[in-house]
Amino acid sequence: MTESDGQLFDLGYQHYEGPREGRMRARKALFVNGVRTSLGLGRSTTAKLLPFAFFAAIMAPAILLALGASTIGDTLTPGAELPGHADYYQIVSLLILIFSAIIAPELLCSDRRNRVLSLYMVRPLTSTDYVAGRWVAFFAITILLVYAGQIVLLLGLVLGADEPLTYLKDNWLDIPRFLAAGAIVALLTTTIPLAVAGFTSRRAIASVFVIGLFVVTISVANILVECKEHDVTIVNGQVVEERCEPLTGSAAKWLGLIDIGSAPIHLSDMIFDKEADEQLGIEVAKLNNVYPVLWYLLWILGPGLVLLARYRRMSP
Amino acid sequence: MASLLEANNLTKSYGDTLALAKVTFTISDGVTGLLGPNGAGKSTAIKLFLGLLQPSEGSAEVLGERPYENVEVRARLGYMPEHDCLPTAVTASEFLTYMAQVSGLPPAYARTRAADILRHVGLDEVRYRSIGEYSTGMVQRVKLAQALVHDPVVVMLDEPTAGLDPAGRDEMLDLIRRTGCDFGISIVLSTHLMGDVESTCDRIIVLEAGQVVQEGEVSGFTRETETVYIEVVDHHDEVMAALAQRGIKAEPYIASIAVQEVGDAEYDLIRDALAESGARLRSLGPRRHRLTEIFRDGGP
Repeated sequence: MTESDGQLFDLGYQHYEGPREGRMRARKALFVNGVRTSLGLGRSTTAKLLPFAFFAAIMAPAILLALGASTIGDTLTPGAELPGHADYYQIVSLLILIFSAIIAPELLCSDRRNRVLSLYMVRPLTSTDYVAGRWVAFFAITILLVYAGQIVLLLGLVLGADEPLTYLKDNWLDIPRFLAAGAIVALLTTTIPLAVAGFTSRRAIASVFVIGLFVVTISVANILVECKEHDVTIVNGQVVEERCEPLTGSAAKWLGLIDIGSAPIHLSDMIFDKEADEQLGIEVAKLNNVYPVLWYLLWILGPGLVLLARYRRMSP
Repeated sequence: MASLLEANNLTKSYGDTLALAKVTFTISDGVTGLLGPNGAGKSTAIKLFLGLLQPSEGSAEVLGERPYENVEVRARLGYMPEHDCLPTAVTASEFLTYMAQVSGLPPAYARTRAADILRHVGLDEVRYRSIGEYSTGMVQRVKLAQALVHDPVVVMLDEPTAGLDPAGRDEMLDLIRRTGCDFGISIVLSTHLMGDVESTCDRIIVLEAGQVVQEGEVSGFTRETETVYIEVVDHHDEVMAALAQRGIKAEPYIASIAVQEVGDAEYDLIRDALAESGARLRSLGPRRHRLTEIFRDGGP
């Protein structure tokens, strides 16, 4: 038998002599924790399932479009086009809205439900730091998600083109456009769910409320802009003119704004200089561009300020 | 002793309700008890010192700073709330590492500190289990650990023994004593349990209806009321009579006899009275009053 030379020493309590990085470190920690919580990292497999399922669902259209562009792009009839960067956000907007409605409230609701907030507020953080940290964390995830789809689509379009470099040279403007439009989508889908989550400690209630808000407003807006009369002029078997008289007449272009979920899509259409292809977008496009922009800003600043004020008044 | 916390004419009102009314006191190194019944203003005072509330009037200063205005000073404070405040889905190790970072410690240091503190509070064996699986006593230890993980100068404990069984309470009080004595971290202990104050605190501040009614060293409170207790097996009444005969004021106290204000001369007289009465003596000696007795009887 060998005898160990090692000895155990109980050093007792040791005071911390290392660096203290104060408020900035606290903000960074809050941000990283927000990202991990949103993605279910460090939690059970079940907690990871939902965010990654959404990630797969939002990426799927981009992958399919990219594959389509590189395989059947050349075989399409003249005039027909596969959906591209300008259409992607509209295609996945519903999924992004549901993703945000379900995942974002967890960042605020669980802290209030478990009453952890009182521990944050006695550390070098203000209520604004806390809300901003959570907001930035979820915004970062959403923007990565929407950009990832656009990047996959871009790769498909570039690699599927006969001359990739020429394609890139001709279409480079799509890159800043989808970056700007993606930021606009992510801003709204981050701010509204978090603002709603500020009023309840139950994630399910916040999620149902946000999804309900988007569903109700899109339904109401579509009913209000629905065509009362629909005339189609066909020449040589081709539709040359479509005329629609909305149910609500000239007010339809304003009433179309009721659909909150489409607010960033109107701006995306403006950025891509794209003509809307559904009735609601066609009606809103009749307005001066300033109004959809102001309407969108209202839905960002309003809930954002409400959220900040809510946490400033809240006593842990 | 250096002053850590300072209240100057500190006032806090919630609408028409006055929680603290122009209180002035200082808290220095060591373990200080904030004692008082529910609604006395203890929790309000702690929240003012932590910067969770803004004073209505006066000031609450910690280490010379006002924590409501200067959040950086909070990096040197610890707080253990009375209520549940822990997430249930994460492990104690992960939670403490995170809390250390939120207090300003870099990640690598935060991990080491979390492991050290969990060892000090006796949870190192279960640190990788979810907090939701912990018993009430273990949850209280995690609450204390998160208050200590960043090595604060002063830690404020709000009713730390609430909800614990007698064994858990003793363990928590022992941990608090060690934190104050061995770790060298100053403690402000808010409680309505005098036993907790008596067994852990050096100093005491008694609050009632938002005002300081008494303050001083715990030993001072009890020394001033020194009493000798005589416990006899039989001849209880004869001992009482023999003491009265010698001019000693004695009162029956539960199963014993209490004699107030005893000096050297009185000890001789007590000895004589016991001998004369023929009583069999079980015990005789001074015992300090418990704080409960002092405050029950209207103060020292």
